Amino acid sequence: MTRFTVNDRPVQFEMDPRTPLLWALRDAANLTGTKYGCGVGDCHACTVMVDGAALRSCLITLAECEGRFVTTVEGLSRDRSHPVQQAMVAEQAVQCGFCTPGIVMSAAALLAANANPSEAEVKAAIPNLCRCGVQPRLVRAVQRAAAVARREEKIDAAPPPGGSGRIPALSPKGDTP
Amino acid sequence: MAVTRRGVLVGALAGGGLALGYMLRPRSYPLPLHPHEGEFAFDAWIRIGADGVVTVSVPQVEMGQGVTTLIPQIVAHELGADWRQIAAEPAPVSARYANLALAAKWAPLWMPLVPSLADDPDDLLTRRWAQDEVFDVTADGTAIAAYEAAARAAAASARAMLAQAAAARWNVGWEECEVANGFVTHENRKLPFGPLAAEAARYSPPSTPPLRAEPMSERAGEFPPGAPLRYPRLDLPSKIDGSWTFAGDVRLPGMVFAAIRHGPIGRRTFLSDLDEGAAKGVPGFLRTVRSPEGQAAWVAAVATNGWAAEQALARMEPGFRVAAGADSDAVDTAMDEALHNARAHRIHSAGDMALVRDRLPIQIGYEVSPAIHAGIETAAATAWLHDGKLELWIGTQAPQAVRKTVAAALDMHLRDVVLYPVAIGGSFDRRLEHGQAVEAALIARAVSKPVQLTWSRREEFRAGLPRAPVSAVMAARPDSEGQIAGWRARITVPATAREFGRRLLHGDAPYDALEAVALDADPMALEGAVPPYAIPNLAIDHVPVRIGLPTARMRGNAHGWTAFFNESFIDELAHKAGREPLSYRMAMLGHDPRLAACLQRVAALSQWGGGSDASGQGLACHVIDAGGIGGRIAVVASARREAEGVRVDRLSAVVDVGRIVNLDIARQQVEGGLVFGLGLALGCAVRYAGGRPDSESLAAMGLPTLADCPAIEVDFIESREDPADPGELGVAAVAPAVANALFSATGLRLRRLPFFAEDV
Repeated sequence: MTRFTVNDRPVQFEMDPRTPLLWALRDAANLTGTKYGCGVGDCHACTVMVDGAALRSCLITLAECEGRFVTTVEGLSRDRSHPVQQAMVAEQAVQCGFCTPGIVMSAAALLAANANPSEAEVKAAIPNLCRCGVQPRLVRAVQRAAAVARREEKIDAAPPPGGSGRIPALSPKGDTP
Repeated sequence: MAVTRRGVLVGALAGGGLALGYMLRPRSYPLPLHPHEGEFAFDAWIRIGADGVVTVSVPQVEMGQGVTTLIPQIVAHELGADWRQIAAEPAPVSARYANLALAAKWAPLWMPLVPSLADDPDDLLTRRWAQDEVFDVTADGTAIAAYEAAARAAAASARAMLAQAAAARWNVGWEECEVANGFVTHENRKLPFGPLAAEAARYSPPSTPPLRAEPMSERAGEFPPGAPLRYPRLDLPSKIDGSWTFAGDVRLPGMVFAAIRHGPIGRRTFLSDLDEGAAKGVPGFLRTVRSPEGQAAWVAAVATNGWAAEQALARMEPGFRVAAGADSDAVDTAMDEALHNARAHRIHSAGDMALVRDRLPIQIGYEVSPAIHAGIETAAATAWLHDGKLELWIGTQAPQAVRKTVAAALDMHLRDVVLYPVAIGGSFDRRLEHGQAVEAALIARAVSKPVQLTWSRREEFRAGLPRAPVSAVMAARPDSEGQIAGWRARITVPATAREFGRRLLHGDAPYDALEAVALDADPMALEGAVPPYAIPNLAIDHVPVRIGLPTARMRGNAHGWTAFFNESFIDELAHKAGREPLSYRMAMLGHDPRLAACLQRVAALSQWGGGSDASGQGLACHVIDAGGIGGRIAVVASARREAEGVRVDRLSAVVDVGRIVNLDIARQQVEGGLVFGLGLALGCAVRYAGGRPDSESLAAMGLPTLADCPAIEVDFIESREDPADPGELGVAAVAPAVANALFSATGLRLRRLPFFAEDV
């Protein structure tokens, strides 16, 4: 049994410890925002933060997560207020949305480490594949998110979900006041 | 034999009034979406709640193209609603939402003998067929053409009914009331929609919907850089927090997970080896399920999580045998043979055929390799068979076709197959195929539990069908001024659109579809082959070919190759004539001022320098005409050689798609089309041996990443013409623009897609 923290909650998984984190998150924890695109680390759609670093959850096993802090897109903010989330919506740097959670997590990890990334730094930090072609908007979106994080700009593009700010997967029945 | 529309109708009358009566009898279909408590339905399109929320039914699947915003936007504009109060809901399968525009465009697929009888969405035949078949396919950029009028009419009627309800309260004439920004107003009185909804719904809709003078339109000039969006996309907030649901994100109580292995692509396949015992030790493994006898072979493993299911399959080491597996060497041979020897169908001609006969003074060959879609979402479906009904959650461009296929496979009534439309993670026409639906349904029947099937990336490579290989011999006869007197395109391509039509509309298995249409003419596979230029003598020939490899549609479709052939060839002709490529094209565009304007504007935008002196600039333009509604694009690419291959630094595009409903979504579609087309120009190729692809990873596809994505700028021509689809133009035009740019940079012509590293 593997124990670690997912989105600030202590979790223990009754799964084969060799199971990659991706399937534990999706199939056991029902945190389906983290996407499967290839399972071998090519597409980065499954990117999550592990102890603050953007990692592909298909490449790390549950055993390797023991004791760590994992953040998925569902846990990035409770109300879509993370600067990257707001900037991605404001710049409409999203089309089908399948690769989006991975991009959001890559960008969020970048901003946590670098408050003012250059164009080259943004490009290097977002290796995520996107077939719809949002690339022409990503550098602008991430740099705008950085400006928001530095409190130089405000964006109010994405309203909180359902008016309540409650994300079902994070707040199972009876869990919210 | 010339069959006319009138001929058929008269014939039907002579044959018996019954047939004609059947055709003409108006039909009504029940409301597809029932209003919830406290909600009131206005036609099949709109529900207004007592809380003021306006919910719009969206009968097309969202796959990134923005339809979940476009149709609600059309409704909101016409209704006078507040955008913040608008909600969108995927509409269930219903004849109410038959896609007449696509039915007309695809008449050659369902009425191959006389498509001209049904090539207009207003044709009675088209309407009847589309409604009877519940033809609700999302494809070919037809959403606005198909649904704008009906959605507008519903919204205009609802607006009149809201105004009548308010007018009755105020005791004034309803025509004097205005409806805007979510309020009905009369002089200084105003009421929001919510309190009026119940009363409004009791009025009869006006016999003629009182449409606003102007349809929804966003003009490029209204949105300077950094201007706020007037109609931000409705789907994005839930896409950035992980709550937007794809087929693989559905979670049901007691649901189990399935993984699958498919046999090779081939005429007949069999599962020959499976070490079932080896899976016993995999924690969570439940059982295997095999494909039915006599059908394309697959085996699935079911487990309590998807990884365990994959592990179980890996341990069981399924082995397959294949008869006549797809083979790229054989494909190449067949293509070569056909190009030189096979009979051609002339699908278009104009002028004097003597001038385009036999060998022409300039003949150049081009090739396009099979390519795979490589969307990031793999095929997935969630199925649950219980109480005599099969419930299916799936992202598909063809929901009714999925229901029919599944009903047939499980020997069930169509009405017992319930399909919940789920969004798609980037289809690019891949989700016009739906093998995973039947697989998930069969697995669900075997396990008697809700089951979710997700194809691994490798299976997506193995069992997805590629776009067709194509080759062309482009031939021209210059006149004494260096202009083009004669033009002939001889294009060798399997009847790929017809083949797809057999699979979609007749439920044919891939190899049966291949046989059914093998040597037929397929004008849809040559769309865009008629060049946009004024050339007096013209012949377009289709050489159909049997290649033993089933092929599928892909974003851009025929335009993805015809634009490459035409625009590469025209560039070569300009060069041979010693002419500057832009003015060479412009001289032949007197009849198409809209395309000429795109070219002129893109020259300014890109600071076009003529493409000479190894500047690395290349030009291409293209027209996509759909039932008289034409979209136009001109692109300038800046590209150069690099040690690792091709580097595209910049793409400038100017687009005329007529009236634009949502400018930023149109911009996304053009940007995305350019990037997708770049992927096809630089990679995505696949070869087969024994029915298996030579690559099974995204990393091997050379897909564009953020780091190597060129700078892209897109401008739109303001226009009031009917809206054309912006989604495929970029795909078509980018490859020839880059090829021409590389010629400028290197002096080398790249005549093969993708541009292989060894060519550069």
